Amino acid sequence: MNTLGRLLLWLTDHGYQLLLAGLIVVLCIRNAKSRRKVVRVLLVLGGLVVGAVFLAAAYGKMKPLPGLAWSWSSVKTSLAMFAIQVDSYEILPSAAANTVAHTLPYFELFLGLWLVTCVGQRFSAPLACLAICGFMIAITTAYFRGLKIDCGCGIGPPEEAGPAALLRDGLKFLLPALLVTCGAFWIRRQSGASESPAVAMASSSTATD
Amino acid sequence: MNQGLDRWSVPTRISSRFAALRKSVFFAVALAAVAFVPSSRALPQAATTSPTSSAKPLAKKTAAARPVALENLSAPVKSYGSSSAPIKMEVFTDYQCPSCRNMFEETLRPLIQSDYISSGKVYLVHHDFPLPAHMYGYEAARWVNAAARVGQFQSVEAALYDNQNSWQADGSIEKYVASAVPASDFKRIQKLMVGCEYQGPASTKPASLKTGVQTSRGCALDTYIEQDRALGMKIPVQATPTYVITYKGNKLPAGSGFVSWPILKQFFDSLLNQ
Repeated sequence: MNTLGRLLLWLTDHGYQLLLAGLIVVLCIRNAKSRRKVVRVLLVLGGLVVGAVFLAAAYGKMKPLPGLAWSWSSVKTSLAMFAIQVDSYEILPSAAANTVAHTLPYFELFLGLWLVTCVGQRFSAPLACLAICGFMIAITTAYFRGLKIDCGCGIGPPEEAGPAALLRDGLKFLLPALLVTCGAFWIRRQSGASESPAVAMASSSTATD
Repeated sequence: MNQGLDRWSVPTRISSRFAALRKSVFFAVALAAVAFVPSSRALPQAATTSPTSSAKPLAKKTAAARPVALENLSAPVKSYGSSSAPIKMEVFTDYQCPSCRNMFEETLRPLIQSDYISSGKVYLVHHDFPLPAHMYGYEAARWVNAAARVGQFQSVEAALYDNQNSWQADGSIEKYVASAVPASDFKRIQKLMVGCEYQGPASTKPASLKTGVQTSRGCALDTYIEQDRALGMKIPVQATPTYVITYKGNKLPAGSGFVSWPILKQFFDSLLNQ
């Protein structure tokens, strides 16, 4: 579990660097087939990176508080603590903040597992982008209202909601999600384009037959 | 016999007059001694302890009251509930902070009035963290600490938060403290505030009082405020209100900003149900 946790945190911290390097490599490749292969590999890596972000976020919100052991009640207590952080943003009414606090970590867990499987990335990656954008909007709102509060993201040490948190979220979280989204749609388009001549040839051959 | 009287008549009359005079002087001194017996009984003790202590009653009448010495002050009690409660919530606030007022009115007051404190589940501790941006925050903290020394912390804290909009405009904290406590306690608070009051309009407030880092001499209460500030710096407190919750000795990550009572209550319930 510790190794897995360290891997998740490492992917969260440095995954965007790997994807940026991969993007540069893709842009340098001239061969279309090779490029598609590299993009597929990068999509798997990107899925792992973005999935790790959401899994780390879910873990950070659900893990037991200091002095408590893992149990269902300790998870509920951690979610109650997260509800305090959501309430401190003063964006939602208390009841809504409580609902968000008790559903968001499960949504992040689900989305993280979905992304890690690299299945249906044309749907999971845009959803991840939306979630991260929503979080960044909340941080921006809190910052411009002068609230000095914990960002509550659950990843790494507590960080104050402000420009630093926005920069971190934008670079480490949103950028990989956008790259995976673009890559998933590009590879789908490339796959569709490569299939179209084959379909045309197959249909023409049947016509001649 | 006549000869004795005749021979000694003048000297005898003079001596008898002197005797009468001596007697009257003796009785006057005796009366004076009886009248001042309580003072005279104190005199030997005063003489043995300190040469100046005997002058204290006179000094009280003639000179202005002196600031209370720090060694004569015990720490003010600014808490609610039992220290043995499983949950301890420490709140760092500034009395002139609007968010702190909201937190007190919407969250802490329901907590105080609930059975969480009275039943020994939660121990609520207040720490002062006056911010430099608030002109009267430090002075308000002094008044509350003085009130805490006479056991009137709760009423004065509530009075200052309830009337924050009024006293923060002109610094008229004293009248709200006076209205919140009995007259006898207010006199004791005033005595503790000797040397701590700001003696002037806001525009000429001394720089030391403006910055919030108090170095004014003669105000013993500042020591407790600075102790709270030092405690807050360790967390660190970057804004008010900031709260630190400790559960069975385990300190949880500090939180800042407003939190509503239902959500805080839910958190307390989940902790207590562990």
